[in-house]
Amino acid sequence: MSLLKQNTALFGENIPWLEGLREKARTVFARIGLPTAKTEAWKYSYFKEDALNKPQIDDTPHQCDGHCHDESNLPFATVEIKYCNGKLTHIAHDLPRGVIIRPLYEAIEDGEIKPYLNKSFDMEKFPFAALNTAFLDEGLFIVITADTILNMPIYLHYHQHAGMNRLCNIRNIVVVEKGAKATLIEHFDGENAAQYFNNIVNEIYVGTGANLQHYKRQNKAQKAHHVALNSVQVKADGQYNAFIVHGECALARTESYVRLTQENASAEVNGVYRLAQNGVSDITTNIRHLAPHTNSDQLVKGVLDGKAKGVFQGQIHIAPDAQQTTGYQLHRALVLSDEAEVDCKPELEIFADDVKCSHGAASGDLDAEQLFYMQSRGIPLNEARQILIEAYLNEVFEKAKDSAVVEWMRDSCL
Amino acid sequence: MTSKLLEIKDLSAGIAESGKEIIKRLNLTINAGETHAIMGPNGAGKSTLSYVLTGKPDYIVTGGSMHFCGHDLTALKPEERAALGIFLSMQAPVEIPGVTTQVFLKHAVNAVRKHNNLPELDAAEFLKLLRSKAKEFEVSTDMLKREINVGFSGGEKKRLEILQLSLLQPKLAILDEADSGLDIDALKIVANGVNQWHTADNALLIITHRLDLLKQIKPDFVHIYADGHIIKTGDMTLAEELEISGYKNYLEASI
Repeated sequence: MSLLKQNTALFGENIPWLEGLREKARTVFARIGLPTAKTEAWKYSYFKEDALNKPQIDDTPHQCDGHCHDESNLPFATVEIKYCNGKLTHIAHDLPRGVIIRPLYEAIEDGEIKPYLNKSFDMEKFPFAALNTAFLDEGLFIVITADTILNMPIYLHYHQHAGMNRLCNIRNIVVVEKGAKATLIEHFDGENAAQYFNNIVNEIYVGTGANLQHYKRQNKAQKAHHVALNSVQVKADGQYNAFIVHGECALARTESYVRLTQENASAEVNGVYRLAQNGVSDITTNIRHLAPHTNSDQLVKGVLDGKAKGVFQGQIHIAPDAQQTTGYQLHRALVLSDEAEVDCKPELEIFADDVKCSHGAASGDLDAEQLFYMQSRGIPLNEARQILIEAYLNEVFEKAKDSAVVEWMRDSCL
Repeated sequence: MTSKLLEIKDLSAGIAESGKEIIKRLNLTINAGETHAIMGPNGAGKSTLSYVLTGKPDYIVTGGSMHFCGHDLTALKPEERAALGIFLSMQAPVEIPGVTTQVFLKHAVNAVRKHNNLPELDAAEFLKLLRSKAKEFEVSTDMLKREINVGFSGGEKKRLEILQLSLLQPKLAILDEADSGLDIDALKIVANGVNQWHTADNALLIITHRLDLLKQIKPDFVHIYADGHIIKTGDMTLAEELEISGYKNYLEASI
């Protein structure tokens, strides 16, 4: 595997347990390799070209024109953190009470990360997470301490400049302790010509009665590959809500692997994608109901034009003793051209008998009667189409909890 | 001198997909200030005429001509016809989930203004206009905030159509079964709205098979429409006669 042979200087090669973990990851990755068209979990969005042969890990110190230290121009206040070209470059100075944000390497050095790092998933099942682990280096350790109610979102801004085609492996560990409440925003953008391959793994631990709202917005970047695994564990009465927006890209895959491990844990995964060129959007979910009285809900809607492709794979697993559980899932897509494609794979694995589950999928074009009605009132066809598309996606946006964040998210797919 | 708004000559038209001809050599001229009623049995193609005039893509013109204020309608898109001043109150107004009535109406008003080189109304100006009109047609603020036509009763839908007529101020209004599903009060609101809008500069084409609306909006001409064209033209007395004896006599006569 050429990727593994790259001679890269990584942090902490003298820390035995860390090097042991990387070595294990290298072994796993060398064995399972990159997904192909035959890999079930990736069959709709495997890499057609040598997407992964060209990008290189950039192990030189971060250098750019300094703009990556500018304040963001978001319409709301945040606790801001920046990654530039895959390197952590900035952490807000004045952190709110009860919030700990440290670079990953610090938390590795003092061992504080040990209970969380690589503890939420099995590398054998996630090739890119194995790759991420083999090159573990950049990342964050975020803790929202018990009972902290954080009003300001934590904002992770990942920016990419044009130039080198970079493979960026980033690991963020987010711990929302008992009774705490927080919002996490991940925002990916880059210069128009930027080519990069982001391989992000977030390990998220939502404690008893805790609540995390997790937003992801990926801006237009025609040549960008985004692969992300959100590996989430939710304890009793905890709540994890994800809201994902995929824009134009070469490939964007966001995989939510959520384990509801104790009673009354709940999760929502909602998403919107809008592509009009030749990119692929893949929203994959695996919600694992492992305890009674757990609830999940998913709504994903996409709009495809040109030669774009949309993939939704949604798995709901209900363990034998997870009685009185609900799991709902709905995927819908608007397919506006003959060459666009949508692939949907719902999978329900139900081993308990007292549960309510449903899944649904539909795809179609805009409604001709609605378009004509609008035209007959003087609204030009293109405008009418735009209005209908926005209305179509609006159903998902209405599910998000924070209206300021939602408006900002919505901007990216108009 | 009368000003000619709509001139239909030997028009033939049908369903685009199957090619089935529904309108057959139809002739009709409507001048400014006039009210025409087209009456006919169900299935005669009355609604088809309204769709052909407004440019619905499911229909195709196969012969003859139709001109509006001198413009060849067949060359114009539906939105261009609307901007020129043709308005269709639909028999079954379309529901659009996700689009609120108010937002829809603002898009429509500004689209027509823009096409006619008028400045678009900003949010405050539009709201002021909308509020005054909505009150007139007993369209509640709640209705304006709901998704357009979604879950509206028959009467609500028709009142909303006439509110749109009043907002868009077209030159020719085609009312396709505007009286269906209306109770007496709602019918009055619709009729008053239409009568208020109607002046010597604009015209009405009412498509109906009942007298209810015609009693309140007095037509100058009543046409009996069957088998794709007009088989007899008269005045209100013709409509009254139809109510008593039905279409039977005329249909038999035309065969």
